[in-house]
Amino acid sequence: MKRHILGLAGASALAIGLQTGAALAQECSVNVGTLYPTSVDWGRPIAETALWVGEMINEAGGVDGCDVNMILRDDQNDGRVGVDAARALVDIDQVQLLIGTVSSGITIPILTSVTAPAGVMQMSCCSSSTRLTEIAASGEARGLWFRTFATADVQAAVAAMLARDAGIESITVVYKNDDWGQDIGRMAAAAFEAVGIEVHASIALNDAQPSYRAEATQALRDQPGALYLALYPTEGISFVREWLGLGGTSVMIGANSLRSDDFRTTVGLANLGDFIGTDTSSPRVPSAEAFVDAYAAHFGSAPSGPGLANSFDAAAIALLAYHAAGRDATGTEIAAQVPRVTDPDGEAIPATVEGFAQAMAILSEGGSVSYQGATGAVTFDANGNVSAPAVSWVFDDSGMAEQRYISLEEVSGFMASIN
Amino acid sequence: MIGVVSYLTFFLTMAGIMAIITLGLNLQWGYTGLFNGGVVAFFGAGAYGTMILGGPAEPGQFGGFGLPYLVALGGGVLLAAALAWVVGLLTLRLRHDYLAISTFGVAVALESLARNSQWLTGGARGMRGFPRPFEAVIESNFLFGVVFLLIVLAVLALVWWGIERLVHSPFGRALRAIREDETAARALGKSPTRLRLWSLVIGAAIMGAGGGLYVSYTAFVSPQDLLPILTFQVWAMLIVGGAGNNRGAVLGAVLIWGAWTLSGFALTRLVPDSMQLDAGSIQYILIGTLIVSMLLWRPEGLLPERISNPRNTTVAKAAHTSNKE
Repeated sequence: MKRHILGLAGASALAIGLQTGAALAQECSVNVGTLYPTSVDWGRPIAETALWVGEMINEAGGVDGCDVNMILRDDQNDGRVGVDAARALVDIDQVQLLIGTVSSGITIPILTSVTAPAGVMQMSCCSSSTRLTEIAASGEARGLWFRTFATADVQAAVAAMLARDAGIESITVVYKNDDWGQDIGRMAAAAFEAVGIEVHASIALNDAQPSYRAEATQALRDQPGALYLALYPTEGISFVREWLGLGGTSVMIGANSLRSDDFRTTVGLANLGDFIGTDTSSPRVPSAEAFVDAYAAHFGSAPSGPGLANSFDAAAIALLAYHAAGRDATGTEIAAQVPRVTDPDGEAIPATVEGFAQAMAILSEGGSVSYQGATGAVTFDANGNVSAPAVSWVFDDSGMAEQRYISLEEVSGFMASIN
Repeated sequence: MIGVVSYLTFFLTMAGIMAIITLGLNLQWGYTGLFNGGVVAFFGAGAYGTMILGGPAEPGQFGGFGLPYLVALGGGVLLAAALAWVVGLLTLRLRHDYLAISTFGVAVALESLARNSQWLTGGARGMRGFPRPFEAVIESNFLFGVVFLLIVLAVLALVWWGIERLVHSPFGRALRAIREDETAARALGKSPTRLRLWSLVIGAAIMGAGGGLYVSYTAFVSPQDLLPILTFQVWAMLIVGGAGNNRGAVLGAVLIWGAWTLSGFALTRLVPDSMQLDAGSIQYILIGTLIVSMLLWRPEGLLPERISNPRNTTVAKAAHTSNKE
C-alpha cells in the first residue's frame, strides 16, 4: 500500500514538473481562477460558458498579449471545499482574479476569508444574497467584489410600482423559501407597504412539496386583491393551480423566475390574463440575441438553464478589465478598470471575438468601452451590483411580450422615493 | 514558495478543525459505540452559537452581542452540549441504526430551523461579519493564517489531552464496557443511560468547538454549512483512521481531508484541458474509490484500537468493528 502511494505521488510530482516546463516554454500566460460547481448538473454549463469566454479572449489576442489560463476548480456546492479550492487558486496558482461561484453560502466565505484579505478580485455570475451588498457596503469586500446577477431589489420595487399603477389595494406575498426568495419576498412586502398597499401575509413555499393546498388556503383567508409571486415555475405551477381552483383572484404579479413557457402552458393562458411580470434589464437587446445565436453555434444547442448569460458576462467583463489593467496587475488594479469596460459613454462593443479584439485595442490606448453583453449593457454600482433598467411583461399567444420599459433613471428615482 | 506555505497553513487549519470533530465522534462511536448520524447538527450549533454571541449586531435580528472571542466560542460549545443533552434524553434509549436515524433527523431539523428562523439565524442568508480573532492587530494575511493555525492546534491538543485522560480513567473503561456488553456493565452497577448521555454530550461539545473555530475563520455561517455531507466526511475520517484510537482519528481526518481537497488540485494539473469540466466528477470517483478500498482492505482503520488487556487482541477488536457495520 505504502509503495503504491509513493508511486502515485512520484507520478503526480513528475506530471506537475512537466506541466511547469510546458508553461515556461510559452511566451507568457495569465492564471485566472474559475470556481463553479462543475459536478452539479446545473453548474457544469455555467462553468463551460466561462471557459468558452476564456477561449474567445485568447482568440482575440489574450489578456495584454498573454494567453489566459483558466484554471477550473469544482466547489462541489460545499462551503468548506469551495473555500479550500479558492485558497489553492490564490496561494498556489497566484491568481489575481477569481470568477465564481454560484451559491451565496460559498461565495460569501470565499470573499470574506480568501479573496478580500488577499486583495484578489472576485466576480460571480449568480450569487443572489443581499448579504453580499451589506459586505460590500461595509467595506469588508475592499471594492474587489462584483456580480452580474441583477439583485432582487429592482424587481421588488418595480413590482410595487406596477401594483400601484394597476390600482391594487391589498396583496399577499408568496415566495420560494431560499435565500433569493426570502430576500425578494421581504423587499417586495416593504415596497408594497411603502406605496400604501396593504400586505396581508407573506407565505413561504418549501421546495418539492406534493401539494401547496395548505398555503393556498392560508392565502385565501385574507381575500387579498392580488398575489405577488416570487417562485420558480415548478412550485409556481403547483401553487397557482391550487389557488385558482380554490377561487382566488387571477390578479398576479410575478418575478422573472416565472418567465417560463412551462408556467404559461400548464397554468393556461386563459387564467393568466391579469398576470404582470417584472424583469431587470431588457433581454431583447440585439446583444442578448447575438449571445443566444453564438451559444447555439458553439455548443450545438440554445442556452437553457439558469445563469448562462450571467456567467458569460461575468467572465467577459472581468477578463477585459484584466486586459485594461495589464498582465502584472493586482486584483485591486483589475477591479479599478471595470468601469472602463462598462462605461455607458464608451464605444459600444459586441460580445464576439471581433468585439473583444476591438475592445482590447481601445482599452490599450486608454479609451473606454461599453460592453454589450449577453444580459445587455451592464453597469455596476458602488457595491458591485448590476444597475439595470426594468421591464414589465405579460403572457400572450406567442409566449411572453414586453409591456413597458422602465428606464434606469425611473427605477432609481422610484427606489429612492420608497426607501 | 510563500504561496505554498500559506496554502499548507490553511490546509492544516481546516484539517485540524476536521480532526477536532473526528475526535468528538471517536469518543461517541469509537469508545462508547454511539452511532451519531447527526454530526453536522452539533457542528452547526457550535457555529451558530459562536456567531450569535460574538458577531456584530444586525437590525431586526436576535444576537450580535459582540462578546469577546473566548466567551463566544465557549457559548457555542455550550449550545452544542445543550443540544446533545436534549437529544440524548430523547433518543439514547435507541440503539445503533435507530439512534443514527433519529440523530440524522435532528440534523435535518436544525438545518430547516436555521433556514427559516430569520430573526434568530438570518434565515437562508446566513449571518456575517464575525470579527476574526486577532485580525485587527495582525496586518499580514499570511501571519493571520499562521496565528489561526496555532489556535486550532492548541484546541486540538487540548481536546486530545482531555479525551486521552478521560478514556484512560475509570469513566473511560466504563464507556468501553457499555460498548462491549451493556448488560454486563449494568450488572456491575454502572448506569449505561447516564454514561451514554455523558459521552454524547462531551463528544457534541467537541464538535461544537470545531464549528465555532470554522465560523471564526470564515466570518460567515449559513444553512449551506449544515448539509449532511459533513457528517459523511467525518465518519469516513474516523473509519479510515481507526475508530477507538485518537491517533487514528486525527490521521484519518488529515488523510481524508487531503484526499478530498488535494485531489481537486492535482486534477487541474493532471487532466487535459478538454476534460477539465469532468474533473469534478472524476474527483468524486477518486474519493469514493479510496473510501471503499479502505473498507475492503483495512476495515479496522489505519491505526486500530489498542487495548492494554492482552486477552482482548487487536484482531478480536477488528472482528467486532466489522460485525457492527
